[in-house]
Amino acid sequence: MTTRMTTMRWATAFGATMVLALAGCSGGDDGGSSSDDPIVVGISLPLTGDFSEPGKGVQRGYQAWAKIVNDKGGLLGRQVELKILDDQSNADRVVSDYEQLIGQDQVDIVVGPFSTRLVVPAARVAEEYGMLFVEPAGAAKEVFEQGFKNLFYAAPAVADDHYNHLAEYILGLPAGQRPATAAYAAMDDPFAQGTAYGLKKKLEEGGVRTVVDEVYPPNTTDFSGIAAKIASSKADIVVGGSQYQDGVNLIVALQQLDYQPKLAAFSTAPTSPEFAAAIGNKTEGILAPTGYTQKAPYPSNVEFVEKYTAQFGSPPEEDEANAYTTGQVVAAAVTAVGCAEQGECQQKLVDWVRNNTVETVVGPLSWDATGKPQGAHMIQQWVGGEIQIVLPADAKETDIVYPKPAW
Amino acid sequence: MPSASDLTRTAVRPGFTPGRVARGVLLVALVAAVASFPSLAPNPYILSAGIVVLNYALLSTSWNFVGGFTGYISLGHGALAGLGAYGTGLLVTRAGVPSFLALVIAALAVAALAVPIGYAALRVRGASFVIVSIALVLVLLLVFQSWASFTGGSRGLTVPRPFPDLLRPEHHRVFWFLFAGLLAVALLAWWLIDRSRFGLGLKAIREDEDKAESLGIPTFAYKLVVFVVSAGFTAAAGGLYALWFGDLDPVFQFSILTGSYMVLMALLGGVRTLFGPLLGALVVGTALEYFKVEYGNTPLHLVATGLLLALVVLFMPDGVLPALAAGLDRFRPAQQSIREVTAAELREQRERDAASPELAGASPGAPSTKERP
Amino acid sequence: MSSGALIFQSVVLGVLLGGLYALLASGLTLYFGIMRVVMIAHSAFLILAAYLAWWSHTRLGVDPLLSLVVTVPLFFGAGVLLQRLLLSRLRPATLTMMSVLLTFAIAVVIEGLLGYAFTGTQRRIQLGYGAANLELFGARIAVVKLIAFGLAAVALLTLYLLLKKTTFGWSLRATIQHRDAARLVGIDTDRVAGYGFGIGLATAAVGGTALALDTTIYPSLHWHWIGPLMAIIVVGGLGSVPGAAAAAMLLGLTQSLLQIPLNTTWAQTIFYLALFATLAFRPQGFFGGRLAQRF
Repeated sequence: MTTRMTTMRWATAFGATMVLALAGCSGGDDGGSSSDDPIVVGISLPLTGDFSEPGKGVQRGYQAWAKIVNDKGGLLGRQVELKILDDQSNADRVVSDYEQLIGQDQVDIVVGPFSTRLVVPAARVAEEYGMLFVEPAGAAKEVFEQGFKNLFYAAPAVADDHYNHLAEYILGLPAGQRPATAAYAAMDDPFAQGTAYGLKKKLEEGGVRTVVDEVYPPNTTDFSGIAAKIASSKADIVVGGSQYQDGVNLIVALQQLDYQPKLAAFSTAPTSPEFAAAIGNKTEGILAPTGYTQKAPYPSNVEFVEKYTAQFGSPPEEDEANAYTTGQVVAAAVTAVGCAEQGECQQKLVDWVRNNTVETVVGPLSWDATGKPQGAHMIQQWVGGEIQIVLPADAKETDIVYPKPAW
Repeated sequence: MPSASDLTRTAVRPGFTPGRVARGVLLVALVAAVASFPSLAPNPYILSAGIVVLNYALLSTSWNFVGGFTGYISLGHGALAGLGAYGTGLLVTRAGVPSFLALVIAALAVAALAVPIGYAALRVRGASFVIVSIALVLVLLLVFQSWASFTGGSRGLTVPRPFPDLLRPEHHRVFWFLFAGLLAVALLAWWLIDRSRFGLGLKAIREDEDKAESLGIPTFAYKLVVFVVSAGFTAAAGGLYALWFGDLDPVFQFSILTGSYMVLMALLGGVRTLFGPLLGALVVGTALEYFKVEYGNTPLHLVATGLLLALVVLFMPDGVLPALAAGLDRFRPAQQSIREVTAAELREQRERDAASPELAGASPGAPSTKERP
Repeated sequence: MSSGALIFQSVVLGVLLGGLYALLASGLTLYFGIMRVVMIAHSAFLILAAYLAWWSHTRLGVDPLLSLVVTVPLFFGAGVLLQRLLLSRLRPATLTMMSVLLTFAIAVVIEGLLGYAFTGTQRRIQLGYGAANLELFGARIAVVKLIAFGLAAVALLTLYLLLKKTTFGWSLRATIQHRDAARLVGIDTDRVAGYGFGIGLATAAVGGTALALDTTIYPSLHWHWIGPLMAIIVVGGLGSVPGAAAAAMLLGLTQSLLQIPLNTTWAQTIFYLALFATLAFRPQGFFGGRLAQRF
């Protein structure tokens, strides 16, 4: 039994050392903050894995925010330092990251990660350590149903309200023009599905009959089956609760079947800079909601677009803007309350955000008791080979085209 | 009643040898280290990282009931853990069952479910078993994603805390001991099976299933029983994780990577040893953290994990530590028992013999492994 | 369009999908026949080939079909090396189990490297004829899908002729049926096994290119493919190429038709239901390789 014995001995000895080593390999980080210390902002982001692309966008947004703040002398006279961890798009990781940021690294402020799936577990950690948690990406209504008291979503509207202006427009059409039937296809994702179902609920209440209601898993790559169902239903309008690539695939599959709806609305995908090329420039008339536009006239946005472009070489997209907005909200609270550290300060920050309106790159933001922002998204449409704002009427760059031309 | 393995053991090392005493001392030291870790941990993060490693250890020890005893490699144990987690979570949220009762019910239910799964998977050998184990993960992922009205789908399922009044650091401390306790039970069960006739029969399956069957061992029943035990422990581990972690998402609960980590940890530490998987979990748990820190912004951590697995499989299929120990053993007097010779080694030996014609006549079907030259 | 037309449309889509499944499953079947190896990395190589096709289209501007000229020989060579250098090193007694782990490790490495080289972003080849379609008795067939199907059909036919009509095919089939006997009649089974692996992997190269024509690719996509493929080879009877092809067609068609009453996710579960049912009631598969009896 020598082998066994040796292994056992090895195992126990090694086990004990490892446990002790693990216990010993930390400490020392007792984050006493003086006025010269930088304000450390802890963030966990999906830099690898499924959400890595938007995750990197959010990272750039935060970096731009830190640079712009620091160039002006920082917050409360202290420099802002970002501490970014990679959560690999994994909920287990995101929780341990925030544990590490709050418990071990003693960061002064935490802000949110990307994607609804990761926001909820992360927000719970922040909540239980009593930290303010402003986040750029948890748009689904579930996020606000968890009873979080410290969470604020830094964007104009939650997913279900993205299409509010479009719903109003459709239901306001004269009876003869109003669509009678609608087909919905949504990714099985709280955010994407939220957008489509928000519109579906309003249209159904307004009497537009649902003829197709498909939900597909995030990893779906072949959309021909779904497209066949939609095409054969001959629905007047098609609504896609999509992220990026699934939206592109669904549109191409619908075009392959020569389906021509009167209106086609897809979330996220059509606002991407690569969208037109991805579907072979057959974009005419496609609609999409957006929470951010580079052309928005708010003063901080003009500064953001200019400095961001100087720093990264291209103008910011919605993910970058949301992260920047998050930074703006935190900065406003810190400046007003006059502190930024763990402990009692956090509750003061929470109370301040709850009771105030913050001017941001997406306009003035305020929140209800659950942290839900009180606004709606603008609606953009591809008109003349360019995506332009068509709704609401007071912000429009051009008139909405309905029914849409053939694609 | 002494089993055959006891006889060998006694024959080799009677009484309280220094080795045995040392082992006892180290075991006590291990228990002491586990018991004192929560008070040594400087902050809640270290404690929560420790719980993650402990959870890995528990999972790979549970996996090792099947992998270690029968040699059947299951890549699908992640699915059983996920079922345990969701079972517990759903019982608590939908049926209002108290947390820990829900955990027990879920573990038993998964064990019961393991009977038909095992029936389909174990009737066939090798390849089909692996295919079924992978398919199990993939199909459960689809089901738990699609059946959103029941499971919450991709919106996830929030499992309420069993101790809502505890602060987070206290919560970690309690769960550290719960995980350690369950791990101790799993290790004890493994140790008991290892020393029993049942365990001997299982190991016979691992070495040569046909011969085991011809010796009258009810191989199918044995495999099924140990699979069910393994599933029960895995599900309990998943359930405990659900109660600790609180947020379940099908993508992370039904992931092939989880199952493959279990295999990697067990193989690395050595599947034939009681503490092998535990040790493997310490190494892999730390390595995963290290890969992440080192290659944080790239998916190279996947590459590192893959390469590690490939190296273990190619060069040290019995585990790194057993391989090291075997290296040391070359300098000691040879002591052989039936357990030390795998069918693979035997077959290689036979092939060597077959290659030299004068031995070929004597060797095929050599009945006793003990006569190994 | 009536529901009859929808059914016909689904049948057409199912057949097109089944063709691709058949090609890929035949590769998996080959490995299994030759070495009793369940090659988890098959679909990872499939995605790798798809990425190479995408890369050569986007970066070099060549038609994705032309990338086959490079990928097919490359993958054939990789297959031979994989078998000779890695898989043949494993101990025979634990070969089946350990090869699963080894090929699993290879799959994870490929996924990681793809992610490193091309990031996790979903990619799609943008072809001028991407949305072009033909009409056939009321059903619409996308041109790209037709090309993909044609590619799969040609590759399968080539494979069939290679196995049935050439001396090499004869040796390969002999090796699959009885390795020792094949060696006795003078076949260099090691070399044949290596080439067999190469051919198997070459099917992944063709399949990957066909796949890249009309779907999105991303590094972890291979998990999405390996499940259905494994189900197909079990249902078809492990080790039987015609069985795999028949099962692939059948399951592809069923999946496509099931999407009419169910949603896409539930339709996918048909593969796993078929797999579990096959193992519970007829472990040797429905188109029966003899090999399947014991594995």
